[in-house]
Amino acid sequence: MSTDKRRFRLSAGSASAVPVGVLLVLGFLAPLITVAAYAFATPKSFDVFRSFTFANFASIFDPSNTVWQSFAWSLFFAALTVILLAVIAYPIAYGLNKVFGKWSGLVSVLFVFPLFVSENVRLYGWVLFFIKNGVLDGAMKWLGLPGGLDLLYTPAMILFGMVYVYLPFMLFPMTLGLAMVPKDLADAARDLGAGRMMIWREIELPLAMPGILIGMLLTFVLAAGALTESKILGGQSIITIAQDIEVAFTYAQNWPLGSALALILVVIVSGLSLLILSKLDLDRILGRR
Amino acid sequence: MQNFSRRNVLQMMGAAALAGPMMSAGKAFAARENELNILCWEGYNSAQVLDPFRSDFSANIHAESLTNDPTMINRLRAGETNVWDLINVNNPWARKVMYPAGLIKPLPKEEFEPYFDSMMPAFKPPYKWAMSDDGSELLGMAQRFGPYSFVVNTDVVSRSMAEEQGWDLFNDPGLEGRYGILESDDWNVFNIFLIAGINPFIEHSDDDMKKFEETAVRVFKGAKLVGDIAAMNQALISGEIDLHMTGGTYSVSPARADGFTNLRAVTPLKGPIDGKGGVAWIEITSTVNNPQLSPLATEFLKYVQDPEVAHTVAFAEGTFNPVSQMGNKACFDLFTKDELDAIQWDSLEEEMDRSAEYDIVPDYDKALEIMTAAKR
Repeated sequence: MSTDKRRFRLSAGSASAVPVGVLLVLGFLAPLITVAAYAFATPKSFDVFRSFTFANFASIFDPSNTVWQSFAWSLFFAALTVILLAVIAYPIAYGLNKVFGKWSGLVSVLFVFPLFVSENVRLYGWVLFFIKNGVLDGAMKWLGLPGGLDLLYTPAMILFGMVYVYLPFMLFPMTLGLAMVPKDLADAARDLGAGRMMIWREIELPLAMPGILIGMLLTFVLAAGALTESKILGGQSIITIAQDIEVAFTYAQNWPLGSALALILVVIVSGLSLLILSKLDLDRILGRR
Repeated sequence: MQNFSRRNVLQMMGAAALAGPMMSAGKAFAARENELNILCWEGYNSAQVLDPFRSDFSANIHAESLTNDPTMINRLRAGETNVWDLINVNNPWARKVMYPAGLIKPLPKEEFEPYFDSMMPAFKPPYKWAMSDDGSELLGMAQRFGPYSFVVNTDVVSRSMAEEQGWDLFNDPGLEGRYGILESDDWNVFNIFLIAGINPFIEHSDDDMKKFEETAVRVFKGAKLVGDIAAMNQALISGEIDLHMTGGTYSVSPARADGFTNLRAVTPLKGPIDGKGGVAWIEITSTVNNPQLSPLATEFLKYVQDPEVAHTVAFAEGTFNPVSQMGNKACFDLFTKDELDAIQWDSLEEEMDRSAEYDIVPDYDKALEIMTAAKR
């Protein structure tokens, strides 16, 4: 009897992990399972866990369905955002680590500060800036320059919004990544005759790569599900997949279709992330070989 | 005397932590008489409307606002009938969908029908949209309403021209890139049909759907932007656009109240819905078929009939709208000249006459699918 008891008793570590485990199951896994279950429910019904069909996926993969365009737009814009942000954030991250010195703290706060204001409010602020007779147009006219810039409600403006909104999510992991590069290594390389480019390519970049990669993944995942930028700044000049999911859950009264679209997005985004991670061999980058 | 070890104390604290929420959960079940949950269009969830009721009844009120009917109906269908007490949606849903599906329950007729007597003449009892299909049950109360077709900047497109041309304005290649579209997809389905010269509220042939598709592709392609009410009004005021599809008193009244009276909701003089070219909405507020319906639900419906509260509802934060209670002089007199101007009182009656009432499109799913694809 007592031996049986001992067999089923959790170790102290496992027992301590139970609350977190329960929280993760309830807060993370349960909604995900519900969405997955809805994806296989009868279209336009609420028969979740009571019906099983591939009808939602069949309609999405039907050749006449153009929803693939929304997936393509979302992934394309997410990829562009990641590339642009990598180029934009790297010099800032470098500056925060090596150049700004005692001002780094202040600069960091300036980049964090917008996160305290709701994304919608910030994007509406940009609308007021770019709109006809708005801050930019009005100021140009006031200075006697030709106004009438037609910037808002275009795909380029959506990209601008995404780069602006997701900058901190790229910047901070990248800054941490660069902070992991020991100064001694760069000094040693320089003593051995390496040029600036070589030090950057052979030492800084590989050693900072975990941070850079995490930043890129984080931005990509967030940007692939972006919606407000295309709605507020882009005037819906492109339709993102998040918007299609929203329409399915609202106007179309079709939760199963919305769930199927969401599930496909999860599979694509996580699949791409895992693929990139596996190709890049994190172990080598992290130097644990 | 018992000695408590630290372990005992921790156990007791744990038990108390568990028991606390459970006790309050029990209280929540028992205390429905002081609790009211409202699922509504914005306005009814404002503090101006709710706070006096809260203090009068010492009630704990939770109101959630959404900006489209299908989402609210979905919430009830997904099993939230045991959460909500009142639902406030546009006219056809109560009698055509929610009552037949058992999502709402009728109101005591003898208690509530007399209120319709003091409303504007169009709402005289038995008011069609407040009644069940067979006319036997009263399913809800009417309050806010308004014509909802399109909005123009009269400095650029005159009211008379807009009324004359009606939906054909959106067929005019000269206005390409000069108009916006409100992101209100159920209404956009109606309006794309209307631009195509087709009555939205009938069963459609394949030819109709083909025409609908062509029109949807063209209209969305020619739009400068698709956005919410704030975006439409901002774009109209700044001059980014001169008109926008799907809009009316409801959407333009905040801009008019701010002094932009050159922006005006327009109802076409004629159109394909038995001669009518406009569509109007009337909100019906019903009691949800909640197994533990709060007694405050019916009290709230009576409360908003009061002239002063009705006036507050008309001018609650967000959008400003006429209310059926304006048929009562005591209520009408509370509206200032500017307020009447904001809700276009001068033409309200004729615009409502020129509008068909919001109805359900029989092949909505198919049309929405076509329109969603057209947007891409």
